[in-house]
Amino acid sequence: MPPADPRAGAIYDLGYRTYEGPRLGRPAAALALYTFTLRGCFGIGRRTGAKVIPFTVTAFAFIPALIQLGVAALLGSRVDIIAPWNYLGYSEVPVALFCAGVAPEVFGRDLRYRTLALYFSRPLLRSDYALAKAAAFITALAVLTLGPLLLLVIGNGLASDDLAGYVADRWRELPQSLAAGLAIAAVAGLGSLAIAAWAGRRAYATVGIAAWFLVTLPLANILVEIGGGAGRYAAWFSPFDLLYGVALAIFAHHPGPDSIQARAGLPIATYPLLAALHAGAALGLVLRRFQRVQA
Amino acid sequence: MHIIETAGLTRRFGTITALEQLDLAVPPGITGLVGANGAGKSTLIRILLGLLPPTSGTARVLGYDVAAQGTQLRQFVGYMPEHDCLPGDVSATEFVAHMARVTGLPGDAARERTAETLRHVGLFEERYREIRGYSTGMKQRVKLAQALVHDPRLLFLDEPTNGLDPAGRDDMLDLIRRTGREFGISIVMATHLLGEIERVCDQVVVIDGGRLLRQGPLADFTAATGTLLVEVEGDDDALVDALRAQGFRVERDGRYLLLPVAGDHVLDAVRDAAADLGCGLIRLERRRQALEDLFRPELEAADAAR
Repeated sequence: MPPADPRAGAIYDLGYRTYEGPRLGRPAAALALYTFTLRGCFGIGRRTGAKVIPFTVTAFAFIPALIQLGVAALLGSRVDIIAPWNYLGYSEVPVALFCAGVAPEVFGRDLRYRTLALYFSRPLLRSDYALAKAAAFITALAVLTLGPLLLLVIGNGLASDDLAGYVADRWRELPQSLAAGLAIAAVAGLGSLAIAAWAGRRAYATVGIAAWFLVTLPLANILVEIGGGAGRYAAWFSPFDLLYGVALAIFAHHPGPDSIQARAGLPIATYPLLAALHAGAALGLVLRRFQRVQA
Repeated sequence: MHIIETAGLTRRFGTITALEQLDLAVPPGITGLVGANGAGKSTLIRILLGLLPPTSGTARVLGYDVAAQGTQLRQFVGYMPEHDCLPGDVSATEFVAHMARVTGLPGDAARERTAETLRHVGLFEERYREIRGYSTGMKQRVKLAQALVHDPRLLFLDEPTNGLDPAGRDDMLDLIRRTGREFGISIVMATHLLGEIERVCDQVVVIDGGRLLRQGPLADFTAATGTLLVEVEGDDDALVDALRAQGFRVERDGRYLLLPVAGDHVLDAVRDAAADLGCGLIRLERRRQALEDLFRPELEAADAAR
């Protein structure tokens, strides 16, 4: 009969030591996965080629904010064209590109390289895995959806002649920007991940995500224009129109007369509600996928 | 104390039964899990790791219930899958350190142990290169390293020598034996190659068609037989004649002479006869039963029963 403790009397090789330190379990495991995935979204720790697309697209998302700050610095602070509340209107393309380019890799590489078996044989639940990965991608996307808003708010404040007055006047823009930037990242990110998780192949995922963002945009426009009473609800289901509505609601801004939100005539308060439903459904799809996938 | 205990473990995939009413009790040490391809080895390992739920039955590993205490258990086990599982676009160092953290090791401990473990499996300068450029042998080493980096108490290796050339196979088996013997980590190694079991394992579990066929210490499977195996250089015909003249039943098997051992005097007689004839005695040993000889009838019987 072997000894009860298999390690009793073992002879240790030089250089190999047993590990007696802490084992931090599930929370640390999920955090490690979150960090690794977040780095991977920007190609950090990968070859240079992997960094080109995420960094370029991220730079694109900041360009409108930089233009606004530059114009305001040159022409005086009262030129206020590009603002946190309407920023999504100027950064739709980079956001869609980032989602279509990066989201398929978030889960895709683990499925393609079959690394899932290694993750699921560690102290993680399947739901921990999916949530940590989704949180990482939402964080990465928030760099694009929240970063420029913060830059605008802080830049405008620093550029104003009267900082104290500016803060007193417009301090609300900071929490509003935080809420809007995170809400956009969460809804756009979870939707993209849900498509990517179920698309199977990377190419399908990329096309599916791009279509979800960009094909729905003119489609919703047409439906709201000619669809009458039923068609106006299309504004809820085109992600950028939906999220623009969310930003309007958060910043308590009225939609411009030409905007789809004004033409659809749906209460602005319904947009955050629909956005939450979208995010919840997408998260459900992601969790369901990884509850079932074979590791 | 058993490291693995299962009771009535059953797993079906549709109409196919991969495991059927498996009752196992595996003590610590290096255990060979033997069976033909499709015998249920991988399915058993995957259930024990919580990667696959059993259709019915229970399993405990290291005292933890696989279904209810999976996340606690999986802090203390390592798994080297049969299939490829390494991302190509990161370095071995980056990946193994990441897997250490995902097992719950703090960052500095993860880095330190990554360096140690990669050295242990024999990866040096190349550990900073992207994994996609590695040879099969190097990839197998990284797979072993990620399973070892958190210093598990139990290691599951699924066909660890898959795809390796003979030299790589020797290295890997040597590494596994050292890992089990010197570091006191219990190992369950699934393989369909009996030779690997003979070289590495203390005990053997044989499954076939999802059922337990036989289990026990390796020594039981390779006990010395009552046959003496002799190989000589020179005139072996004369030696056969000389031994037969003394009343021994000598048989020939290629270059070898086989005769029953009744006691030490038989060995003396062979030595003296060889010396008298001027034959060089190359080999004089009690023949061991090969693992394969034992399993062949059992496996064939199991095949016939199906």
